[in-house]
Amino acid sequence: MLYHPFRSELWKLFGKKRTYIGFAMFLLAQNAISLGFKFTTATAQIERVLNQNGYLGETFITAPTIAVIMMVMIAIFLLPLYSALVGGDFVAKESEDGTLRMILCRPISRWRLLTVKWLAGCVFSALLVLALGGLGLLSARLWFPWGGLFVFAPEQSIFSVFNTQDGFARYLLAQVFLIPEAVTIMTLAFMFSCFNIKPAAATILAMSVVLISFILQHIPYFRDYHNWILTYHLNIWVYIFEETIPWWRIGQSLSLLVGFNATFFMIGATVFHLRDIKS
Amino acid sequence: MMIELGGVCKRFGRRQAVDGLDLSVPAGEIFGLLGHNGAGKSTAIGMMLGQVWPDAGQVRLLGHDVFSDRYRALEKVGAIFETPAFYDYLSGWRNLEILSSFSAPTPRQRIYEVIEWVGLKGREHHLVRTYSHGMRTRLALAQALLPNPSLLILDEPGDGLDPEGIHEMRHTILRLRRELGLTLLLSSHLLSEVEQLCTRIAVLHQGRKVFEGSLKEAREHGGWWRLRTPDFNRAVAVLREAGFIHDARDGEAVRLAPPATSDQVVRHLVNAGIAVCEIAPEERSLENFYLALMHRERAAGAKAD
Repeated sequence: MLYHPFRSELWKLFGKKRTYIGFAMFLLAQNAISLGFKFTTATAQIERVLNQNGYLGETFITAPTIAVIMMVMIAIFLLPLYSALVGGDFVAKESEDGTLRMILCRPISRWRLLTVKWLAGCVFSALLVLALGGLGLLSARLWFPWGGLFVFAPEQSIFSVFNTQDGFARYLLAQVFLIPEAVTIMTLAFMFSCFNIKPAAATILAMSVVLISFILQHIPYFRDYHNWILTYHLNIWVYIFEETIPWWRIGQSLSLLVGFNATFFMIGATVFHLRDIKS
Repeated sequence: MMIELGGVCKRFGRRQAVDGLDLSVPAGEIFGLLGHNGAGKSTAIGMMLGQVWPDAGQVRLLGHDVFSDRYRALEKVGAIFETPAFYDYLSGWRNLEILSSFSAPTPRQRIYEVIEWVGLKGREHHLVRTYSHGMRTRLALAQALLPNPSLLILDEPGDGLDPEGIHEMRHTILRLRRELGLTLLLSSHLLSEVEQLCTRIAVLHQGRKVFEGSLKEAREHGGWWRLRTPDFNRAVAVLREAGFIHDARDGEAVRLAPPATSDQVVRHLVNAGIAVCEIAPEERSLENFYLALMHRERAAGAKAD
């Protein structure tokens, strides 16, 4: 019952050029960062940190290590932007263009329509994350050798080194746990998109919520309220790089993210259901 | 009944867009919905398609409530709007596949048939952004016909079309009724088109229905009769005295005072010794009828204020 409308949503989504902005920017950004690491002294600092901790630093200046460093920064800044850009388009752009009115002449219910749109958004979010991981690794591999993985994330108190095989496995697993971040931000923008506003406004509102949440998360005085802060739960993928993966912490954040997503979707769907769709 | 609206009301903020609208459109008709901009036509159509929530009243299409049984009410309904919007970056064919997927899976053969019927064959795989206005209108018609509808709702379909496009649209609407046996609801500003196409009309003014009837009734509306007699002034005086007429004008027209009938008038004049050469209901153009109706409504509104 949902298959054909869902397929249609994918055709619409992947038929537009702006859907690919995120993929193109990842490619550009990751190549630029890789070149930066290759032709500056940045890698020397990584080596120094490793050497000071008793490791042979140069063996960890590898494609996976550079790819993870890039992933951290891109996951904080670029991934939310492109997820919000697409999520903000889903309903608001169709409403602005007038195609929503064409669809709503059809017997499909508004709830079902939103469900297939959201599912298409989840597919996009997953592909965006996989592109981020895949293109990052490819860009880094152009300039750095394959090998072990070193991850340093002071905020999460992570200092880990892995051999080639384990490092690659952790890298792949981290991609899977980055998907909820992209989906959640997409759903947040999707919720705003259901209001009677322009698509750009939906994207900006979603990004504002993410940035305000990020700011609150980094004000030390709010540490006791971390569980209430959205971005605190978005970075669960970083914990995959702990020597012993804290599954309880990941599970706790995942369950809260499910709640956030359900809340965003329900608010958006309720607003959309009550709206009058006019020309 | 294909369309039934009962006591439908809708308010946007302080503006009453539709006020107690009752409407019935039986199968097989081309029904015209007339009114100025902001009269409530598009809001009424929006409620018929379940896009606008009524504050009160009931909206039924094909015997099913649009809001509680949306699927069955809209399953066999097609609609075209004044500016049909498509996914311009996709082909016409892909647009049809997408829009039909929100009704039910549509076989490729059906899409081919409809494309051929509307005359888009050979251009269906081109991007919609390369289509002319006329081709977009045909694509809009194609998407409306895909679910094999019994009822087609056309909201200002002639807007933005050149005279040739309007001629084509009129021809198509007649084909739809003749070849496919559809019931059509046509909302339009083009009174001449409505006059040529519609069997019945309703006129909306400030959200209220101020007239509903056949075109013949509309043309005769007002009770004016053409009266040719050798002494018109005397005839008017005699008829006024008898209470048979309300008004007279132009030396050739009288407005009967109900329940007076034409045969009573003739009999009375002949008895008074006045010959009657001709008496016939005065038929007005739809435009004249519409303008007179609007004038009357505005005057009534001003008086009420």
